[in-house]
Amino acid sequence: MKSKHVLISIGTFAILFAAYWWFGHPFFKEGREVMFISIVSLSSIILYYIAEANNGAKIFLRAIPGLKAFEEAVGRSTEMGRSVLFVPGIMDMDQVETVAGVTILGHVSKMTAQYETPLEVPVSRAIVMEASREIVKESYLSQGRPDLYNDSMIHYLTDDQFAYAAGVDGIMLREKPAACFYQGKFYAESLILAETGNSIGAIQIAGTASQAQIPFFVTTCDYTLIGEEFLTASAYLSQKPSLLGSIKGQDVGKLIIMIAILFTVVFNAFHDLGWVQYDIKQFFTAN
Amino acid sequence: MLKRQIPLAIVFLTGMATLFGWFVDNVVFETFVNDTATQWFDIIASFAMILGSLNLLRVQGEKVLRRKRNWIYSIFAIGGFFFSITVGFLFRGANYVEISDLGPNQGAISEVIASAENIDPKIAAVTLSLVEENEVFEVSRIFITESGAKQLVDDLNANGAKAEFKSKTWGGHILEKGTLFNWMFVYLFTPLSATMFALLAFFVASASYRAFRIRNFEATLLLISGIIIMVGRVPLGSLISPWFVLYLIVLGGGIVSNSYFKDVKRTFQITTGGILVVTIAGFIAGWSPDSIYFLSFPVLQEWIYSVPNIAGSRAIMIGIALGMVGTSLRIILGIEKSFLGE
Repeated sequence: MKSKHVLISIGTFAILFAAYWWFGHPFFKEGREVMFISIVSLSSIILYYIAEANNGAKIFLRAIPGLKAFEEAVGRSTEMGRSVLFVPGIMDMDQVETVAGVTILGHVSKMTAQYETPLEVPVSRAIVMEASREIVKESYLSQGRPDLYNDSMIHYLTDDQFAYAAGVDGIMLREKPAACFYQGKFYAESLILAETGNSIGAIQIAGTASQAQIPFFVTTCDYTLIGEEFLTASAYLSQKPSLLGSIKGQDVGKLIIMIAILFTVVFNAFHDLGWVQYDIKQFFTAN
Repeated sequence: MLKRQIPLAIVFLTGMATLFGWFVDNVVFETFVNDTATQWFDIIASFAMILGSLNLLRVQGEKVLRRKRNWIYSIFAIGGFFFSITVGFLFRGANYVEISDLGPNQGAISEVIASAENIDPKIAAVTLSLVEENEVFEVSRIFITESGAKQLVDDLNANGAKAEFKSKTWGGHILEKGTLFNWMFVYLFTPLSATMFALLAFFVASASYRAFRIRNFEATLLLISGIIIMVGRVPLGSLISPWFVLYLIVLGGGIVSNSYFKDVKRTFQITTGGILVVTIAGFIAGWSPDSIYFLSFPVLQEWIYSVPNIAGSRAIMIGIALGMVGTSLRIILGIEKSFLGE
């Protein structure tokens, strides 16, 4: 789809929505207007830039050291003749972070297939196990090495948080992988896993959107993909224009948010000084 | 083709329904988004558990059968698996005794119950005295084996009571205290989980040591902030005078000036001058903590926690939210298909 068509679609949607609003907006949940407009606007921006990227526009991505280190980590494992350990978090496929983690697994498994490095993926949810198998199998196939793939590479341990941490720690201490990837949603087990990985001298790359766990990963891992870096890793690694376009869309969204924050701060200061009557905070708190 | 298109269509429809369901004021939609969809997922996840269990058995079983490295651990894994299955589904281990008539010899009955429950006979006697006529009394002890419960029934009946042996219902045996499942949970699972959790305390210490090592400017800032937060959050922190903090700031200023000018004489002048100024100001203010209360550890830690910390974490949060919107959109619209193995 061309970016012109995207703009026409967005414009049509906006007109239809305005008409719907004009006619009393039945079935629309009161109080969620700002959220709706924000999501639709952000989605529109992302879709526009995806179309732009698909049409050949150049998208610049700053270098993310953590993502560049993926190949280095797999290469190190290959040189040392040891395995690569990939932990896709402890939550199920209903979490965006798990989906992002499993997507990254696809890229890592392509590298392990290429370098003929053993890959081990212990999982804590059966659905994640099935999804991961499908992805890894496909990656090995795409690299022309289906012979290296076997189902036991991705195996289920347990659903329980600390039992899973104990299981993964055991694998680390026994198998001594040279590279450990922690990509997904984590809770308190993050530090247990990362410290054990650190103790065996593995190169560690973590990625999570779990805010509380980021400091633990930063202190114990060699590289950490923080928040949105982790969520955009798949796009960065695949270099597909459509995915890269969405990152640019996100960044434009971020720029708009920054401008909105600045505007709100200034507007609020004017209100506090008594120069403006309208309290802009009400707009955000009510919606 | 169907292997790809049907999942993508399902993702698109459910994704859109869930997204717009949040904005639609309709009971059917709301029920779908809040209850039905999540229940569907739970049902699928429950069935998937069987796949997980079978995989666990296969992987561990293979290790044992082929005598792979460290196969001995797999025996424990398989043993633990079958033990849990047994106590959860096959063996209730939740037997108890019900007394429909205490009989004439309540003293002896209370002795028997006290011995079974391992409590003082007086307490048992008081408990029995509260039992009304025709009321069925349940001995609170749960017996894992049937023979234990039957032995108590015999003892009670021998003393003139009318006691019956019973078992807790299936499912109830998981929740009741004293059952075999509960025993496994309390004496095996909980200590093992607690052990893993307790490791965190040591790991936090080692991770903090690494983080606080002074390597560069950021690490130094982290160290200083960490110390202020730690001291400010303990009772001792509020006892430290803000004037002491002011002296520390002067000394810190001396370190900064020394690293910047690299001149001992100037550093000495700045530090001594600072100490003199603080001392004179202290005498003038009568060393009152209230005059520079904003420099006390509790106030400083509160500021660090609620201003720079919140600002940083909100910045990350906004990034995460945008990333999630972008990722969700890519998945819903089928732009990102890697999760399907493409």
